[in-house]
Amino acid sequence: MDFIAEAADDPNTKVILCYIEDVSHGPEFLKIVPEVTKKKPVVILKSGTSQGGAMAASSHTGALAGSNLAYDTAFKKCGVLRVSSMSELLNLAIAFANQPVPKGDRVAVVTNSGGPGIIATDEAELNGLQMARFTKETIEELRSYLPAEAGIYNPVDVLGDAKTDRFRFALEKVFKDENVDSVALLVCPVAVTEPVETAQALIEFSRAYPEKTVIAAYMGGQALAEGTKLLTDNGIPCFSMPETAITAIAGMSAYRKMRERADAREKVDDFKPDQKTVKAVFYDVSRDNRLALLGNEASDVVEAYGIAVAPTALSQSPDEAAEIAEKIGYPVVLKIASPKILHKTDVGGVIAGLQTPEEVKNAYVNIMETVHRYLPNVVPYGIEIQKMVPKGIELIVGMTRDVQFGPLIGFGLGGIFVNLIKDVSFRLANGLTSADITEMISETKAYMLLKGYRGERPVDIAAVSEVIRRVAILARDFPEITEIDINPVFAYEKGVAALDVKITLS
Amino acid sequence: MKNLYITGVAGCGKTAIALGIALKLKREGINVTYFKPVGSRPRLQGFEDNDAMLMHEILDMKVDVKMVAPFTAGTSYLSGLKNQELALTSIKESYQAISGEADLIIIDAATFPHVGASFGLDVVNLAPLLDAHILNVVKLENDLSVDQAIFFNSNCAARGLKLIGHIFNNVPRQVLAKTEGVFKPVLEKMGCATLGIIPMRPEIASPTVSEYYEVLGGELLAGEEKLGRLVEEVIVGAMTMESALKYMRRSANKAVIMGGDRADMALATLETSTSALILTGGLYPDVKVISRAAEKGVPLILVHYDTYTTIEKISEVSRRIRPGDVTGINIAVENIEQHCDWRLILKSLKEE
Repeated sequence: MDFIAEAADDPNTKVILCYIEDVSHGPEFLKIVPEVTKKKPVVILKSGTSQGGAMAASSHTGALAGSNLAYDTAFKKCGVLRVSSMSELLNLAIAFANQPVPKGDRVAVVTNSGGPGIIATDEAELNGLQMARFTKETIEELRSYLPAEAGIYNPVDVLGDAKTDRFRFALEKVFKDENVDSVALLVCPVAVTEPVETAQALIEFSRAYPEKTVIAAYMGGQALAEGTKLLTDNGIPCFSMPETAITAIAGMSAYRKMRERADAREKVDDFKPDQKTVKAVFYDVSRDNRLALLGNEASDVVEAYGIAVAPTALSQSPDEAAEIAEKIGYPVVLKIASPKILHKTDVGGVIAGLQTPEEVKNAYVNIMETVHRYLPNVVPYGIEIQKMVPKGIELIVGMTRDVQFGPLIGFGLGGIFVNLIKDVSFRLANGLTSADITEMISETKAYMLLKGYRGERPVDIAAVSEVIRRVAILARDFPEITEIDINPVFAYEKGVAALDVKITLS
Repeated sequence: MKNLYITGVAGCGKTAIALGIALKLKREGINVTYFKPVGSRPRLQGFEDNDAMLMHEILDMKVDVKMVAPFTAGTSYLSGLKNQELALTSIKESYQAISGEADLIIIDAATFPHVGASFGLDVVNLAPLLDAHILNVVKLENDLSVDQAIFFNSNCAARGLKLIGHIFNNVPRQVLAKTEGVFKPVLEKMGCATLGIIPMRPEIASPTVSEYYEVLGGELLAGEEKLGRLVEEVIVGAMTMESALKYMRRSANKAVIMGGDRADMALATLETSTSALILTGGLYPDVKVISRAAEKGVPLILVHYDTYTTIEKISEVSRRIRPGDVTGINIAVENIEQHCDWRLILKSLKEE
């Protein structure tokens, strides 16, 4: 951490490369690194160790997470570029050290061979870049000079028989085009190729347009070595493959995007929750030497943080159950209350659709006896009574505390298929912004459902965002919470209702 | 001189109650002694009954410990080596030797009230022989436990025995209200007195790591100084990480059993509330696991049998109060003082 901070202030350092195995001071990392990445890029290659320890921070949402995801999320938050190989790490270093960060995602490719051009196009799209759309003038000019068979849209294919003059012409037009943020030159060795002269031309334009990012790929090994050397000596990164060239531009572009995002965001914290209720519940739980909250306790906790829940209460006798049902209104569902029972349905611990006090009383005894048959050693706390609410879009909002980076908030499609579909996006709870929340919702497939899929009416996305935000605040306010799992939370046209809330403490 | 026969089913906490009453009444100036006519074989070392050894030491009894528990009824006691006449004689002789000048003899029953019935040594037969009042300790498992108490009560009444009442022991907090509001009135209606409702205290209900270590043997790789930690639950980590962790994170003060080669699972477990990690198969764990366990102060026990055998052995582990266990002994006395009507017990003993 000291090295990173030091390198950030060193005028001779343009880019900071790190190889790390883990981050042992997560909070410090989250404080220092975002400041550094505002000044200069930090590229990290992290190899996996201690998955086991970090996995401890996982649960329902977290099992999908694991530590790798925590690192990804944290790095994203800090504006760190994460790479997965040594070559990527060093290629990005060469790019950052020699070229300006591109102003936008639009890349132009100039080549003398169709294949590499297409490969580059694929790679660009895969890495979040856009192929630049040239202005009308550029296209006209390219058309007027280049042979009829040449590709005049992006990628510009000057054809295999091109000598430097044709490259020079195409490069000039492309550099001049205002719709181009970066230029990639791909050269294949053919009989007429003039690697050194073409390199010379690229160097000239690069100097003439210093704000545009330039990367080259000379795919000819020894045959093009002289040109490659000339480019490299003049500050133009020259790789041997088109993919590498494009990933380098993509990495630089990603850095820009992260920096823009960091600038645009401020935290939102204007919210006064009812912490007393939460503290009282936690006191009860710790008095019983438990780690898991009962369903009704967990509901009380999230409700204290302003999250709408389906009314839930604990009863300890059939009469009390019926009384509560009368109060909250029918139909109700009865669920066995015990922190020891993870899958209530499997042990006959859930009966739904109860309409009368008699049904409720019978169900109470029924559940108690069935559960006792399955788990004779478990002493239930009683039975939870919950009002049944209309079905909405089933979502999951969860929190799992990462060993290094603290609470991670997850959002996605809920219900019983969570683990199967794995449609969950994650962010760090610390410093979570409204923009982050919007982004994390739109990253999921659930977003399509929320917007109204196939003629369904859209649901209350603002209310869903609010649930995510409040879970994040709850996790931040109470470090003793190790995980929160709200699954499902129903989203309606207006408002939401949390049905099943699970909270575990440390 | 009075005799109080404390009975109940296995695991109901008879001995803790006997200990609590003995020490409480001793503090009240009563000369109390202890007798266990039908003992059971200890599982581990020696041949003496564990409870007898404990009480012998705590009450500082002068007689030989063999006198305190003169007869043991093992699970094959009818195979011919034991003799009914001899058993009865030795019980009578020991009783004579122990009773001496005592004001009160607490008689501790065998694991179940019926044990020894073939020799006429069960509670219902021995109580009149020793002229004892009976106190029944209820282990509350469900509503049927109450039936059992009532059934026993009626049985004693039919035989003209003096059953002074029942104590609900180790009642989990979540059923305290039901015990007070439902069970007690039911007993009362059936003519049974409730002399106490003792809430569960993990400090004396849960075994410690060292009790597990004693039963399991094996090597202690870390956490020697933390063998006193309580184990409230045992989890077998033989699932995938994903499903295992759900259980790990939800239970407090647990012992976790897993193969020694599962470093990932071991490390993950150590991040949750764990009292002991039991590694099976004689597989030495990754050094990271050992250092993490040492850092966290979690005893790491390596055993050489497989997971299944380990689980079988563990079913034998139960919490026993030992002579040096100050906390346990204090709680036993506290339970009698605060949650039982010991004055009423004393008074009932005086009634003929």
